[in-house]
Amino acid sequence: MVPATDAHWYKDAVIYQVHVRAFQDSNGDGIGDFRGLAQRLDYLQRLGITTLWLMPFFPSPLRDDGYDISDYYSVHPNYGTLEDFKSFLTTAHQCGIRVIIEMVLNHTSDQHPWFQESRKSADNPFRNWYVWSDTDTRYQGVRIIFVDTELSNWARDPVSKSYYWHRFFSHQPDLNFDNPEVRDEVWNVMKFWLEMGVDGFRLDAVPYLVEREGTSCENLPETHQVIRELRAKLDQQFPGRMLLAEANQWPTDLGPYFGNGDEFHMAFHFPLMPRMFMALKLEDRKPITEILKQTPQIPDPCQWCLFLRNHDELTLEMVTDMERDYMYDEYARDRAMRLNVGIRRRLAPLLDNDRRKMELMNGLLMSLPGTPIIYYGDEIGMGDNVRLGDRNGVRTPMQWSGGWNAGFSSADPESLYSAIVLNPLYGYQAVNVEAQKRSAHSLLSWMRRLIEVRKSTQVFGRGTIEFLYPNNHRVLAYVRQLGRETVLVANNLSGSAQAVELDLARYKGSILIEMFGKNLFPRIGELPYLLTLAPYQFFWFRLRRL
Amino acid sequence: MSEESILSDDLLRQLISVGEVDILVGLPTQNNAKTIGETAQIIRSGLLKYFPRARTAILDADAGSRDGTPGLVTAAAISDTGESEMPQSLRTMHCITTTLAGTEKKGTALQTMVAAADLLRARVCAVISPETTRITPEWIDRLVRPIYQDDFDLVTPTYRRHAYDGILITNLLYPVTRALFGRRVREPNPADFAFSGKFGAYLMDRESWWQELGESGAEFCFTAAAIAGDYRLQQSFLGTKDRAENRSADLVLAMRRTLSALFWSLDEYYDAWSNHNSESQPVPTEGAEYETTLEPVRVNRKRFYEMFRSGVADLEPVLATILTTPTLEELKRCINTAEASVPFSDELWARTIYEFAGSYHHAVISRDHIIQALVPLYRGRVYTYLEQINVASPQKVEQDIEAVCRTFERCKPTLAAMWARRQGGS
Repeated sequence: MVPATDAHWYKDAVIYQVHVRAFQDSNGDGIGDFRGLAQRLDYLQRLGITTLWLMPFFPSPLRDDGYDISDYYSVHPNYGTLEDFKSFLTTAHQCGIRVIIEMVLNHTSDQHPWFQESRKSADNPFRNWYVWSDTDTRYQGVRIIFVDTELSNWARDPVSKSYYWHRFFSHQPDLNFDNPEVRDEVWNVMKFWLEMGVDGFRLDAVPYLVEREGTSCENLPETHQVIRELRAKLDQQFPGRMLLAEANQWPTDLGPYFGNGDEFHMAFHFPLMPRMFMALKLEDRKPITEILKQTPQIPDPCQWCLFLRNHDELTLEMVTDMERDYMYDEYARDRAMRLNVGIRRRLAPLLDNDRRKMELMNGLLMSLPGTPIIYYGDEIGMGDNVRLGDRNGVRTPMQWSGGWNAGFSSADPESLYSAIVLNPLYGYQAVNVEAQKRSAHSLLSWMRRLIEVRKSTQVFGRGTIEFLYPNNHRVLAYVRQLGRETVLVANNLSGSAQAVELDLARYKGSILIEMFGKNLFPRIGELPYLLTLAPYQFFWFRLRRL
Repeated sequence: MSEESILSDDLLRQLISVGEVDILVGLPTQNNAKTIGETAQIIRSGLLKYFPRARTAILDADAGSRDGTPGLVTAAAISDTGESEMPQSLRTMHCITTTLAGTEKKGTALQTMVAAADLLRARVCAVISPETTRITPEWIDRLVRPIYQDDFDLVTPTYRRHAYDGILITNLLYPVTRALFGRRVREPNPADFAFSGKFGAYLMDRESWWQELGESGAEFCFTAAAIAGDYRLQQSFLGTKDRAENRSADLVLAMRRTLSALFWSLDEYYDAWSNHNSESQPVPTEGAEYETTLEPVRVNRKRFYEMFRSGVADLEPVLATILTTPTLEELKRCINTAEASVPFSDELWARTIYEFAGSYHHAVISRDHIIQALVPLYRGRVYTYLEQINVASPQKVEQDIEAVCRTFERCKPTLAAMWARRQGGS
């Protein structure tokens, strides 16, 4: 069962991100559902993850993979019923797995009844639930996020014969958070799911809730006020639940989303993610240490969320032009891999299917300060299909076995919501859970062990970090510390063996215990501690004074 | 440090930290605090601007500076350890420094750079003079890119020079190199140049090469080795060269370094130059092949003449062992003519140099004495040259230099004959 006492449980969590649609189909219609997901909870339990983050599963026209919600109080019939969800949630909790659900508050689908009402007339009671204008000249200069598809943040509604504001697709009108009725209703939606037992929300697109003339319409004080209101209600009525912010912003702009510990519990560290890939390709720790230096201190109860890949493109919004060009050239030479301001590829293909790189990157994910998120399928090295439109190439069915439809569904292959990856390198017959379960040395087995070691101590989730800056810039080394527990992490970011001398004078006399094999390494003495690391190798050492 | 090692343990430790690089820039420094800080910063700017994705490092091979030179070089590093505002860069840029052992510093500095470039597997190593005050970020591009992108092996510079500047090059090194080795390298003894990893590896394999070079003009030997080894050469125009008056100007020392390298190369690469009989070929050049300026400069030409005349008179017995009788007699005639009309002709100059080279080869007397004996004759040649170009245009200056080169090419058999005659046991 999920332990009920620890209010800061999210700091020690290992989160697994999954789309219900993509995980397991239980009824043979070619679409994953809650019953299927419930059947696979034992797999997730064995993997060792502690929390599930579910992408939107609400009724929706599915023009943006569910991020265009048309009913916040129900489950999309493709995925089952509300009862199926409740049953799944109960089982997950019984397995010791918490569940975070997606809450898309910034906008709705244009098919949502609220919008349908709102567009009818200027006098409609729902009119002020969205941001309307007679012209498309307000909020000039605000950036367009989906630059590949949208020309403006305004769209003209033929019914209403006026313009509505949308930061994302034009079929996703933004809600008007200046309207108290909207804020009340949003809380009602959240309360509905909280009362059902969900453990938290991942709030989508939070920087864009409020608009003001003459600003970027991002990160506005009024937006923070909305969040503080929601957080206060959450703490008061549902203590121990969690809010996770999706705010793709620079570190200095991200800090305020934690407020004084009165806004979000967690926020994604977007700028770090591309720099981890950059550091690996450059074989240089500088991108990582630099961005973490720029990362503001956050209130003690708060936590960063770290990820390597997710359901979106690998976003390159939070890098410089020079860095973006470099990332495109190194990770997305085929233009089909590029989307908006990012790269639509999964982890394994990004890393050339190099097992050593995958291990190193997951090692970083699990040892840098924050709570790690694993995107479904990355634990077995699933590939992608960049020929599928939008971001669908990284949202293909989970590959459970080498059998019919990769064990995902009994439907005819033509009925599947998405084609399964079939190529010889990443196809389901080469990469699947069943095969990897049978091998003690598979990526899946290794990931289980990694998670196990990560969970063996709270130092990774809650400890401080101090970078060591050895002269060898190909080695990223840091010390994590929590109370009396000290862990030394050394990562070789390069594809060649490296020698590195670490200044561990402060820990003189300590013995190093390698955390995976539990083997002893020599005691720290007077001289700099010499380590040699194989290509892309990393070490986690527990330091003990014995 | 082991007895044979040219790299100290400390430098080796630093190289281990640097790891593989694409571009290494070497600075052979000694008490250059006045200029080196800015030079290092400009090199860094050049690397960031033109090679932002390349793995780069700057190596200061310092000959025991006491003015804080190494610290000024290392301040240009880009790392994640400092608190200061760093320029936008993808990568770490190491600036490492080593203090050279021994007395023959310049050759050791270059050998250290070649060895470091080899160990770091650098595709390109550029060497920049620490005394320069004219460097711009573009220098880095112009020196490095031909190798980095187009697979050349040695890039030598061309400069915009004052006609009075670099006379040792225009009247001696360039004509001799061109005549003997058949390539028109305008700056065969470059202070700023770049070489490929492939060429550096070739040089590293030639242990005797480094032992012989010592303090002498190793830069010239790079050029000679590249031509003799049929490596790909390119010239790149860098802009204005510092005037000699801004640099240390010890003529005897400069000639000792330069000529010992030149004469040594004639021995080392005898097969290359003796078998080369066709017309000299131009070297591919990016930018201007040369530019000459003629703004008025005060030069005491009379002093050159007097030193020439007294030198020839004082050293006549020594010159008699080096030069053939006709050449010596002609020189003596020169010092007996009126000052304004000293006819140290191109042909006499070419013959003189070839006879000195032959005597150096056969070591008719101490080789150091041979080179020192050439100093007053060089002054005489400079006097004549300055007289020639006194009221000339830049085009006329270049025509004069071309004429000198043609003369050296025409007289090449003189050297071949001297080589053979002495070998024949005369």
